[in-house]
Amino acid sequence: MKKLSYLFFLTILLTNCAHTPEVHTVEIAQMKFNPPVLYVNKGDTVVFINNGFVDHDVTESENHKWASPVLSAGESWSMVATESSDYYCSIHVVMKGKIVVK
Amino acid sequence: MKLTKTLAQKTLGLLVLAIIISVPAAAQEMPKLTDAEVAHVAVVANKIDIGYAEIAKEMSTNEDVLNFAETMINDHNAIIAQAAALAKKLGVTPMDNPVSQQLLTNAETTKETLRSKSAEAFDQAYIDNEVAYHKAVINAVEGLLIPETENAELKQLLQNVLPALRTHLEHAQMVQKQLQSK
Repeated sequence: MKKLSYLFFLTILLTNCAHTPEVHTVEIAQMKFNPPVLYVNKGDTVVFINNGFVDHDVTESENHKWASPVLSAGESWSMVATESSDYYCSIHVVMKGKIVVK
Repeated sequence: MKLTKTLAQKTLGLLVLAIIISVPAAAQEMPKLTDAEVAHVAVVANKIDIGYAEIAKEMSTNEDVLNFAETMINDHNAIIAQAAALAKKLGVTPMDNPVSQQLLTNAETTKETLRSKSAEAFDQAYIDNEVAYHKAVINAVEGLLIPETENAELKQLLQNVLPALRTHLEHAQMVQKQLQSK
């Protein structure tokens, strides 16, 4: 019984030591993604918020694996990061950013 | 190509010409504009680019050109909406003036030239004009409109618009390169 309690305690401890998903924010303002490069752990959530005054979106660059809908001023969209990605705004194609999964 | 270049060069001088024309011959300084006149010039400059984009939507079949034109319509309308909201808040009525009048006159000439292009020549002419126009507008906002503006909120609005104009310029230059490499 004592052994079982020890194992249970150890399991709880290890679970707590594992990475707890975090929430990161990328602000879209002044026609830039800020930060332009975001470092996250796998499973973290990335929230994109449009603080500018024109519409934007967020689209994966290589094969359009994922994309947000059009984000009007004040709107936000979130995704769970599972792999590193380059992305851009398909409305303003020169606006680019990057998510790096550590 | 020669015609296209002429159009772009002509457009590059649009605002400079407008400024020079509205300056008394003896004066060696920029035209004096009230805040209401600055607001009008800003709105007119945005409407002109929407007008060019509408012609592009009628005449082009190139996907990159059409996407760029759509972005110009949406973004410049958003800028106009910001300017209108601020004018309302400040109780300012944008006022017609020689600079905005000259801009409109020149824009009509440019529109006629764009409409006279063949389908093949149009895309290059439109995008060359967009590169030149955005360069000219950026110069005018930085060199004339911001310095002339007294109201802090209007000045801030003009400063906030600059990143969008620079992004449009960069986007236009990218499409210009794509067209030239075809």
